[in-house]
This record gives sequence, C-alpha cells and structure tokens, in this order.
Amino acid sequence: MEKFRTKVKQRIAISSGMALVTVVLGAFSIYSIIFSDHSTATLSDGFVAGFQFGLIISIFGFSLFDIVKLSLAINDETKLTILYNKENDERMKTIRSKAGMPLIAITSVLMIIAAIVAGYFNIVVFYTLVSAVAAQLSVSAVVKLYCLKTM
Amino acid sequence: MKTRIKELRKERKLSQEELALAVGTTRQTITSIEVGKYTASLVLAYKIAYYFGLTIEEVFDFSEENEF
Repeated sequence: MEKFRTKVKQRIAISSGMALVTVVLGAFSIYSIIFSDHSTATLSDGFVAGFQFGLIISIFGFSLFDIVKLSLAINDETKLTILYNKENDERMKTIRSKAGMPLIAITSVLMIIAAIVAGYFNIVVFYTLVSAVAAQLSVSAVVKLYCLKTM
Repeated sequence: MKTRIKELRKERKLSQEELALAVGTTRQTITSIEVGKYTASLVLAYKIAYYFGLTIEEVFDFSEENEF
C-alpha cells in the first residue's frame, strides 16, 4: 500500500501542475479574447478559441476534482484501500479493456491536439477530428455501460 | 456460475462492502459474482474461499461448468 500511497502523491503533484498550467493558459485565453483584433476575426476563429477555452476549463475542473479526491483518500487508510481496490478491480479492468481503454483515451487526446492545431489552418479538419473523437468516445461509453449492466 | 458467497456472508453477518475490502475488490464485483453475472478469476476465487476458511469448490459451484 506504501507504493500506492507514493503513486497517489505523485498524481496529486501532476494534477496540481495541470491545474496551474490551465490557469496560465486560461488567463492567456481571456487576455487574447479581450485584446485581440475583432475586426479581422472570423466565426470559425471564435469557435476554435471557444473550444480551446472550454477544454482548458474542463481540464482545470477535472484536475481540481482529482486533487480533492486523492487528498481525501491519502489521509484516510480505508478510503485509500477502497481507491486501490477500485483501480485494481479485475471486473473493472475487463470492462475497461472491452471498452477499448486506454487506447481510446490516448488516441482521443492525440486527435484533440491535432484538431486544435489543424483548426488554425482548416476548420473542416477541426470539425472532422472533433466529430471523430466524439463518436469514438460515445461508442466506448456505450460499450462500457452495456458491460457494466451485463457483467 | 452459482456461488455460496451470499449465504456465507449472511452466516457471518458480513456486508458486501466489508467482504470486498477484505479480498481487495469492489462491492459491485461481489454483487456481480453473487448474482452470477460475473465469474471470478482464480486469484479472486481463492481469496474469497481463503477468507471464509473454505476451499474454492466449497464456495463456487462448478457442476454446470463440467457439462460439455
């Protein structure tokens, strides 16, 4: 359990780092929105910027949630054991693997990064990649829900 | 697969949560094994049987699995 405690501490540090990065990026986004030249901006520019800002806010929210959850668990032995059991539960591992995890998560993150970069050059590529990510995550979620019901 | 987990739990006045914590799994997995939706791995089956001080065959019913 000591190994897991160390791992949890590392995860708290990573989440704190992520939260800090998102705060900086968020502040930069707000700054760019306020001080950008609106006369030359197109509707798609606004959409890509809005998507980025939404993504930053979501990552910030998830990081905060993770920090609170892990901090509560690290100070309580029972909660830590429950968290360990939840993460290493064989049934959940099977369900996750049937839902395509972690490959779906990795490809989704890569596709989102590609979509944001592509969004600056071609908005159609941006929409296509975001739709593809939404589709693959939906399929994964449906499979996971089905397995949770039947297993 | 049929099991005697629920019966053994009741005898020992044990909740699913307590059993899950003792054998290193989740309450949901214990529920799934009890209702026969999920078949435990050899390791988990051994942990559950060991916890109750019984053999795997005494906790899990393999009679249906032997039918070809």
